[in-house]
Amino acid sequence: MDADALAPVTPGRPVGVAIVDDHPVVIDGVRAWLATEPRLTVLATGDDPDEVLRAAPQADVVLLDLRLHGRLVLDKLAELSSAGRRVVVYSEHSDPATMLAALDAGAVAFLAKHEGREHCVTTVLDAASDRPYVGPALAGAMVGDPRPDRPVLSDKEREALLLWFQSMSKASVARRMRISEHTVKQYVDRARIKYTRAGRPAATKAALLARAIEDGLVRPEEIGIYRSRASTDQPTP
Amino acid sequence: MSAERLSTDPGASATGFRAGTTTYAEGTAARTASLPQQPRPGPVPKPVAGPASDEVGAVRAAAAVARTSDRGARIVAVTIALVWHLAIGLPAVLAARSTLAVPGVVLGGWLLVAALGVIAGIRLLHDTPLPATPLAGLLLAVDVAVFATVGRAHLFSPANWVWGTLAWFFLVVLWGRPVRRLLVLLAAHAATALTAVVLHGATGAADLARATMALYGTSSLPVAVFAGAAVLAALSRQRAATAATTNAMVAEREAAERARHERGERLNLVGRAASEVLTELAEGRVDPADPEVQRRCVRAAAQLRRLIAESDDVPHPLLHELRAAADLAERNGLPIDLVTIGTPPPLPVRIRRSLADPLTAGLADAQDWARLTVVSGPDEVVVSLVTPDREGPDTTGHPPEDDDGQVEHLYERDGKIRWTQTRWHR
Repeated sequence: MDADALAPVTPGRPVGVAIVDDHPVVIDGVRAWLATEPRLTVLATGDDPDEVLRAAPQADVVLLDLRLHGRLVLDKLAELSSAGRRVVVYSEHSDPATMLAALDAGAVAFLAKHEGREHCVTTVLDAASDRPYVGPALAGAMVGDPRPDRPVLSDKEREALLLWFQSMSKASVARRMRISEHTVKQYVDRARIKYTRAGRPAATKAALLARAIEDGLVRPEEIGIYRSRASTDQPTP
Repeated sequence: MSAERLSTDPGASATGFRAGTTTYAEGTAARTASLPQQPRPGPVPKPVAGPASDEVGAVRAAAAVARTSDRGARIVAVTIALVWHLAIGLPAVLAARSTLAVPGVVLGGWLLVAALGVIAGIRLLHDTPLPATPLAGLLLAVDVAVFATVGRAHLFSPANWVWGTLAWFFLVVLWGRPVRRLLVLLAAHAATALTAVVLHGATGAADLARATMALYGTSSLPVAVFAGAAVLAALSRQRAATAATTNAMVAEREAAERARHERGERLNLVGRAASEVLTELAEGRVDPADPEVQRRCVRAAAQLRRLIAESDDVPHPLLHELRAAADLAERNGLPIDLVTIGTPPPLPVRIRRSLADPLTAGLADAQDWARLTVVSGPDEVVVSLVTPDREGPDTTGHPPEDDDGQVEHLYERDGKIRWTQTRWHR
C-alpha cells in the first residue's frame, strides 16, 4: 500500500470530518470547536465507526474516540488506517503507552481530550493534508518512549519534544533552544515522521512519510524505511 | 487527607518555599535530552529509596542470618582442632620425644600449627579469616616435614600427630570456602601420608590398611562437619532471604493499599466538588459564563485528570513529593496539570530534593494555573513547572549546592510564562 491509497483532499472545498464518540455531549463540543474553522465541515457523527463512514464515505478525516462503549478500539483504528482513512484519535486516556499504541496502529495524530480547541482544529487540518501534528501530550509520550525498538531520535528532536511537552508553547521552546519556531516545529515533526516506521505499516503512515519527503522535512535515507512495494512487512515485535 | 501527611520530608512541602532572584537560562539548548536510554546495569546510588534498597536490605539481612547460624559450627571446628591438638597430639609427642627421628622438627611443627591454629581460629571467629591458600600451603609443608622426620617406629603411633589433627586445621583455614578445596587438601595430605608410608617401607598389607583406615577415620568427620555447615549456612541464608522478600512484599502491599485508600479519599473530595458544580449548572443556579464557575470547572477537571493519571501502585518518592506539593497548591485553589511519563530510577534523597525543591517553591507562588511535568528514563529525570508570568520577583529555590552538579537547575521568565526545570542525569 502507498500514499496513493488515500483519497486526496480537494483544494478549495472544506475538509470533511466524521466524528465517532459514544458521548453526545463530546460530539457536540467537538462540533462546536470545529465550527469555528470555515475550512472544516462535519459530515457525520455517531458512536459506530462503520455506520458513521457509511453515512459519510467521503469524509477526509475521522475523529475517533479511542474508547467506545467501554472498549479500546485499537483494532478498529488499525483497520480504518489500513483502509486509507486518516484517523485522528482523541481520548481522555492520555497515558503514553496508549498514545504510542495508537500511532503504531496507524493514527495520523493523537489528541488528548483536554488539549482543547486550538490543538483540535490544527490537528484535523494538518491530518487532512497528511502532515503530522504532535500535541504536547503525544510529544511527552514520544520523548519518554521506553520501548527498545523505538525510533532513534536526534538530540535536538528529543529536546524539542521534551520542551514542547513541558511548556506547551513553541515560542518558549524556540527561545529556550535559540532557534526559530519554525525549526522547533520541524524537529517535532521529524520525530513524528520517524514513528511512521513503528508498528504495522498502514496507508496513512506511508502518506505521512510521502508528504514529509515531498515537503523536504526528511530525506528517505534518514528514515531507513524505503521498502519495495512487494516486500512483506513484519510488524515490529 | 492532608498534603502534610502525604509529604515524606520537609523539603517536599511547599512550606519550604524560598525566594530566589537568580536566573539560569544559559546553555539550555546545549544540554540534550537523552531520556530513555537502553536499560543498562549500573551501580545503584546510595543511599537509595524504593525497591532497589529493599533488595539490598534483604540480601544484607540474609547474610547476617547466615553468619549467625554459621558461628556455632565455626566454634566447634576451632575447638575440636585446638583441643585435639593439645590434649591428644602434645602428650603423645612429648612421651615419644626421645625416640623420634628428628624430635625438633616434629615438635616445632606441632608448635607452628598450634600457633597458626590459634591465630586463624581467632580471626575466623571475628569474621576476618586469614588468606586460605598460604596457610594451606604451610600446613601441607608441616605435614611433609613431620612425616619425613617422625621415623619408621612412630609412623603409625599417636606421636605422628599429623594423622589425627591436621584435617581439623584444614577445616579452620578453609572455612566458608568451597568444599572441593578441602577435598583437594585432604587428597594432598593422603598422598603425603601414603608416600611416607611407602618410603618408610611399610608396604605390607596390614600397614597399608592401617594407613587407609587412619586417613579415612581422620578425614571423614571433618568433611562431614565442613559440608554440613556449608549446607546449613546456605539454607539459613535462603530462608532469611525468603523472609525478607516476603516482608518487602507485605510492605509494598501495605503502601499500595494506603495509596489506594488516599486516592479513594481524594476521589470522594474531587467528585463532590465536581458534582456540586455540575448540579448547580444543570439546575441553572449558576451561570456558565461566570469566570468563578469556569474556574471551579477547570479545577475539578484538573483534579480528576490527575487522579486518572496516577497509575502507579506505590508512588515513587519523587512523584509522591511532587503530588503532595501539587495537592497543597490545589487546595489553595490553583488548577494544576501534573503529567508524569516513565518511572524514575531510585534516587538518593538529596537528588530528589534538588529536583523537587525549586518546583515546590514555584508552585507555592503560582497563580491561575500550573503545569508540572516529570519525564523519567533510567538515566535521566527532568521535572518542569510552567506557570503564567506576572509582575513580581522571581520565584525559585536557590540552586542546590550539595548534589555534586548532578542536578541542573534552570529558571526563566519571558513575560508569558515562568519556567522552572530541574534535570538529573547519571
